[in-house]
Amino acid sequence: MTDRGAMRGFSDGRRTGAAGARATPFVDRNFKYLMIFPAVAVILFIGLFPVIHTLMISVQNLTMLDEDTSFHGLVHYGRLLSDGRFWEAIGHTLIFVVVALPTELVLGLALAYLFLDRLPGKQVFVALLVLPVVVSPVIAGATWRLLFDQRYGPINQVIGWFAGEDVTILWTVDPAFVYPAILIAEIWQWTPFMFLLLLAALSNVDQSQLEAAEIDGASFWRTFFKVVLPAIWPVMAIAVLIRALDLFRLFDVVWALTRGGPGTLTETFSIYAYVQGFQQFETSYTAAMSLVVIILLAITVTLVLRRMEIDR
Amino acid sequence: MRRREFLYTASAFAGASALGLPRVARAQAAQTAVEAAKQFAGTEISIVWEAGLQALDPLNFSGPLWQEATGIRVNVIEVPTAEMFTKILQEHRAGTGAYDALNVIPAWMPDLVRAGALEPLDEYVDKYGYRQELQTIAPVYRDNQMMFDGKIYSFPDDGDVFILYYRTDILGDPEIQAAFREQHGYDLPVPPTTWKEFDEVGAFISAYTGNKPYGAAFFRDPPYGQFMFQERFRNEGGRFFDPETMKATINSAAGVKVFNDWLAENEWMPPGVQTWGFVENLAAFLQGDTAMTISWPPYGRWAAGYGTDEEALSWVPRSQIAGKVGYAMPPGGHPQLAAGFALSLSASSRKKEAAYLFMQWLNSEEISLKRVQLPTALRDPFRDSHFVSEEYMSRWPEAPQYLAALHEGAVKGLLDLSIIQTDRYEEALRQGISRLWAGEDPQAILDDVAAQWDQITERIGVDQQRAAYEAWASNAAAYPS
Repeated sequence: MTDRGAMRGFSDGRRTGAAGARATPFVDRNFKYLMIFPAVAVILFIGLFPVIHTLMISVQNLTMLDEDTSFHGLVHYGRLLSDGRFWEAIGHTLIFVVVALPTELVLGLALAYLFLDRLPGKQVFVALLVLPVVVSPVIAGATWRLLFDQRYGPINQVIGWFAGEDVTILWTVDPAFVYPAILIAEIWQWTPFMFLLLLAALSNVDQSQLEAAEIDGASFWRTFFKVVLPAIWPVMAIAVLIRALDLFRLFDVVWALTRGGPGTLTETFSIYAYVQGFQQFETSYTAAMSLVVIILLAITVTLVLRRMEIDR
Repeated sequence: MRRREFLYTASAFAGASALGLPRVARAQAAQTAVEAAKQFAGTEISIVWEAGLQALDPLNFSGPLWQEATGIRVNVIEVPTAEMFTKILQEHRAGTGAYDALNVIPAWMPDLVRAGALEPLDEYVDKYGYRQELQTIAPVYRDNQMMFDGKIYSFPDDGDVFILYYRTDILGDPEIQAAFREQHGYDLPVPPTTWKEFDEVGAFISAYTGNKPYGAAFFRDPPYGQFMFQERFRNEGGRFFDPETMKATINSAAGVKVFNDWLAENEWMPPGVQTWGFVENLAAFLQGDTAMTISWPPYGRWAAGYGTDEEALSWVPRSQIAGKVGYAMPPGGHPQLAAGFALSLSASSRKKEAAYLFMQWLNSEEISLKRVQLPTALRDPFRDSHFVSEEYMSRWPEAPQYLAALHEGAVKGLLDLSIIQTDRYEEALRQGISRLWAGEDPQAILDDVAAQWDQITERIGVDQQRAAYEAWASNAAAYPS
């Protein structure tokens, strides 16, 4: 009430005061837009300018040796269509998304359930579980590389104890093990993120509904799907979306562990873009590549948001 | 002047030339730089340097010394090697003037010069009288890593070369020698001089000692392995391109042989050697786990225990093999002059004069001799005088043999491939090596690498690349003669 009164007073003052005397009908009519214009302008500048700049670069021909800014049309986009390595990189990225995302979600949810009840030392365990998230991904990748190391790493040693003999698993070289190695590191680091968000969501599920379900004799899974899941869905959907986007730009862990190898077997889109853009200075081609991915991602995210019905 | 007086005077001059004057000249280049630089006292120059041990030279030694002498502060910008080229080119494109002097790998020079990132140095060299002293840089570095299109763009500053290190106590063991002779029908060569000998000796030692130690180990991690490939491929008679068509010939019989030999060697080398880089290989050799290896010069110093008590080298395993190491050319006799560093002036620098003078001073006979003896700094002898320095030769008992091997390497060494956008070719090769370790067929891999090289050449322009390749291949150190 007070706020409304104050707003009204401000509005009246604007109309009748000294400043108001100078106010034009245009200002009066669009006052709310004028108020938010600076913020919108900043956001547009930060968000839109790089995209427009990237678009401009993508139709030029900037390379390591050539700073040709004349219009080259869609030549780089055409090259992209026939660039097998680019599409392979997209495919590798999708593998990481498809495997890591559900795994992190399920593990995060399971852990969150585990920590939902009162447990002795719960806060300490939660703090410890969250630690991987605060480690820089590149540091995490380098650490895992050491853990997987054949000569000094403990992982092969431990496996050797169980096997009863020395084992030689080249985690970062052998095609059979490179994906598991990267996924282990990735899932280790980001499952706690899921866990934390889902723990918060689960903590806010209406207890009375759970109790009612229990009284009605609903099974665990029925309660989960009919009561818990709808309640935590908005948070879970956002968590999945954030992680999916993170995974799509996966770089650090892969770079630290395999540098996209062997060959280009684990090369993600981000690594390919980095190699093209910052090692080989194919600036315009990389810009075209980035724009295509931005468009693909924007379409995907929009569809997913609609599907998840969390934009309402 | 009477005849006798003339002879006395001439003799005195000759003696002075032989004993004293070169030292005066050496002192002059460094001193000239110092005196000229005093006008810039109070300013700061920035120099890009490889991160890690390399940077300890300007951070702890040359930087403070220069500041004390001239009043110019040196800001050392440490950059990992893998990012140096990118950062230098990005800075040049941005034109910020953030970098004044640069450390560059000589193989990058064609790209950096074409991009306009490097400042020609001839004018400064003449102005500050440095041309004569540049001539005492070992010929292979001076003639191949200093100039481009007839202009000086960098001062070779690091005599990087791959040397064979071998355990004299193991290869010289009479029991091992007798058993080897019995099995192979010829005397165990100390050291092996061909790859066939090397493989037979290495495999024999692994088998005879029960892998304690292994016969040998190498860098196999692709970024290092590609240097090893370049060396061995050329020693086996390989050529990178057909000079007429510029079609890649890396998939020739020589290339396939190298890959097949590598796979065979892995059988008697330590498990997981495919992932070994500089540190893993170093640790194994210094701990006595391998009898032979090939690497850059610091291995030789650290194996002798030289300077390894310093805190900066605390990560280097204490050498178990001091006094038991021999130094020689790798099999084939032509070592790779792998990477190395040269000092260049950034074209976008706003303090070019001051930065140049620092470079001249660093690179001078007088100062460089001190720098190559810093145990932590990884700069290796690159001047004729370094190889015969009494001071250096007294550093550890085997130092004279070590320096002699480095000197021989500087005479017989092979240059890294250096054409337009070399890194793109090397990247394809690095990926090829990683595919080899992943179990793919050597011929198929190299055919694919060759196809990628051809695509890169097409994209750059066949004629343009042919000209660059011809210029590079015309160097005596491009291929074994």
